[in-house]
Amino acid sequence: MAATRRLQKELGDIRKAGPACFRDINVDDTNILQWQGLILPTSDYYKHGAFKIQIDFPAEYPFKPPKITFKTKIYHPNIDEKGQVCLPIISAENWKPATKTDQVIQALVALVNEPEPEHPLRADLAEEFSKDKKKFQKNAVEFTKKFGEKRPPE
Amino acid sequence: MSDEMKSQDSDADSDYDQSDHMDDDDDYCGYYDNDTDDLDIDKPKKSDDPEYFDYELLQIEDVERFLNEEVEVLCSSQKILPSLAKMLLHAHDWKKEYVIECHSKNPSKLLIDSKVIPKVKFQQPISGPSLVCCVCLNQVSREMLHDLSCGHMFCGECWDAYCQVQIQQGVTLGISCMAKDCEVMVPEDFLYSVLSKPDLRDRYSQFSFTEYVKSHPALRFCPGPNCPIIVKAKEAKAKKITCNTCKSCFCFKCGIEYHAPTDCDVIKKWLTKCADDSETANYISANTKDCPKCHVCIEKNGGCNHMQCSKCKYDFCWMCLGDWKAHGSEYYECSRYKENPNIANESVHAQAREALKKYLFYFERWENHAKSLKLEEQTLEKITSRIQEKVMNSTGTWIDWQYLLDAAYLLKKCRYTLQYTYPYAYYMEKCARKQLFEYQQAQLEAEVENLSWKVERAEITDRGDLENQMDIAEKRRLTLLKDFLDY
Repeated sequence: MAATRRLQKELGDIRKAGPACFRDINVDDTNILQWQGLILPTSDYYKHGAFKIQIDFPAEYPFKPPKITFKTKIYHPNIDEKGQVCLPIISAENWKPATKTDQVIQALVALVNEPEPEHPLRADLAEEFSKDKKKFQKNAVEFTKKFGEKRPPE
Repeated sequence: MSDEMKSQDSDADSDYDQSDHMDDDDDYCGYYDNDTDDLDIDKPKKSDDPEYFDYELLQIEDVERFLNEEVEVLCSSQKILPSLAKMLLHAHDWKKEYVIECHSKNPSKLLIDSKVIPKVKFQQPISGPSLVCCVCLNQVSREMLHDLSCGHMFCGECWDAYCQVQIQQGVTLGISCMAKDCEVMVPEDFLYSVLSKPDLRDRYSQFSFTEYVKSHPALRFCPGPNCPIIVKAKEAKAKKITCNTCKSCFCFKCGIEYHAPTDCDVIKKWLTKCADDSETANYISANTKDCPKCHVCIEKNGGCNHMQCSKCKYDFCWMCLGDWKAHGSEYYECSRYKENPNIANESVHAQAREALKKYLFYFERWENHAKSLKLEEQTLEKITSRIQEKVMNSTGTWIDWQYLLDAAYLLKKCRYTLQYTYPYAYYMEKCARKQLFEYQQAQLEAEVENLSWKVERAEITDRGDLENQMDIAEKRRLTLLKDFLDY
C-alpha cells in the first residue's frame, strides 16, 4: 500500500528531526493510519499546557488529506467542542499530495497560537477574541490550566 | 378599447396560432415557437414581443461540435494545441475574442493568469540518474518522472493515482499540480497520458464536457429530469425556453421555472421565502404570546382579549399582558399601559403581524393561481375529449372546434404570467410605478377571470364573445410584460 510506505518514512523523519512543537508521537504498530501526539503551542493563550491530537490518514493517502481531531479540550475559536478543527491546508479542495505531515502540523500549531476569528467554528469565542483580547486570554489560560495536558520536559 | 374594435380584431385572431397546438397538445409554453407571421396580422411581431427569444435546442453531439469549432478557431488563429485552447477558453468563460486578443498581445501574461504556466518555474535539483518522487517518497529513475509547465516532478504512478482520485471525486477541469502551493492546472492531454484506466478517461471526458457547458454563457442544460437537451442562445437573458423533448419550460438565465415579469434574483428570494420555515416563526410571533405567569406559549384563536392560560389558569389581558382583574369592566382603557415595557414588545409583535399580513396577501394569490392552473389542466382535458366526441358524432370537424382548445391554452398562459406578477409586486418598493403595476395586474386579473368563466362554459358561450375575451386577456398580458419585463 502506497500510504503505508510513505507514512513509515514520514513518521521516521518526524521522530528523528520533527518540529519541537509536536511530541510524544504514538502510533500503533498494527495501524499506521492513526497517529496520536502532543502539540505544544507557544502563544500566551496556550503556553501553559499541551494538547493531545489524533491524525487519521485515509487509505488513499497521500491522494486524500488526513483528518485532525483534538483529544484535549481547548478554548479556541477555530476548534469546536468535538475537537474538530478547520484547517485549510487539509481541506479536500486545497489538499496537495506533496504536502508533508510536518507541514500540516506546523500549520496547525500556527493556527492554535494565533486564532483566526474570520472563519470561526465557535462564533462566541471568535467574538470574544475580536472584541476583548484580555478577557479571552484570561479564559483561555484558565481553561488550559484546567483541561490541558502536562507539557513534557524540554 | 371599445367592444366594436374588439370584434373587428377577432376575425384575424381566430386563426391565432393554430398549427402550434395540433402537434403540441399539452404544451401551452410552446406558444411562440413557430413562425406564424403569415397567419395573423394582429399578433405582435418578433421585434416587439416582450417574450420573444432566439434560441436553439441541441443534442450533445451538436454541442460537442460547436465547442470544437470554438476551440478550432482559437487554435488556428493563435497556432496553439486544442488542449491549451480549451484551458484558455474555460478560464475566460469562453470569450473567444477576448482570449485571442490577450494571447496576441501578451501570451505569457494570459498563460500565467489562466494558470497554464507558473509565475516562476521550479528548478528541480538533479543529481544523478534518479530522483525521489515527493509524493510516494520512492527513488525513481529520471525517465519515469513527469512534470507540468511548473517543473514539479512526480512519478507516473503517483500522477495516475492522483488523477484517478480527483476524477472519482468529480474534479476534472480543476485538477492542479500535486506540489504544495502550486496552482498550475493539469491539461487534458497530460491527463490522458498518465491515466491508466479507460473507464476513467470516459468519465473525465463526460464530466469536463458538463463543466464546459456550465461555464459557457451561451449554453444551458435543460433542467428536465434526465433530459439530454442543451439550449444555445446568443445572449444570457431571463427568457422563456420550452424544451421540445421533455416539455420543460424554464428561464434561460437561471434555469428554474419561467418567471416573467419577476426577475431571476427576486423569484429565487420568493421561492426560498415560501419554502422557508421563517414564515411559520413569523406566524407564531404574530399570533401567539407567552403567558406572563408560567411562560407557556399561547395562541389567540378568538376575538376576546380576556385570556385565560390553560396551563396555570392565570387571567390576563392579551393587549398589555397585565392582570385581567385590574381592567375591571373597561379593558379598552388598557391603551393607557402604552408606557408599559410589555407594549414595547407589543410593537415588535405588531410589526411581525404586519409583515405576515403583507406576505400572506401575496402568497394567497400566488398559491391560488397555481391551484387554478392545475384545475385548468383538467378543463383542457375535458375540452379535448368533448371535441373528440363532437367530431365522432359528426358535429363539426377538429378545425371547427379548435378555437375552444386555443382559448384553454391562452387561459393557461395568461394565468401563468398572472401568478408570477405576485412575487414581483411583493418585492416592489411603494412608488408610482408600483401603482401602475398593480393597476395593470388588476386589469389582467379581471380579464383572466372573465376568460376562465367563459372557457368553463365554452360550449354555451358565443364563439365571437369568447374570442373577444381571449384577445383582451392576451393584450392585457402583453401590455404588462412590455412595461415591466426588461428586454
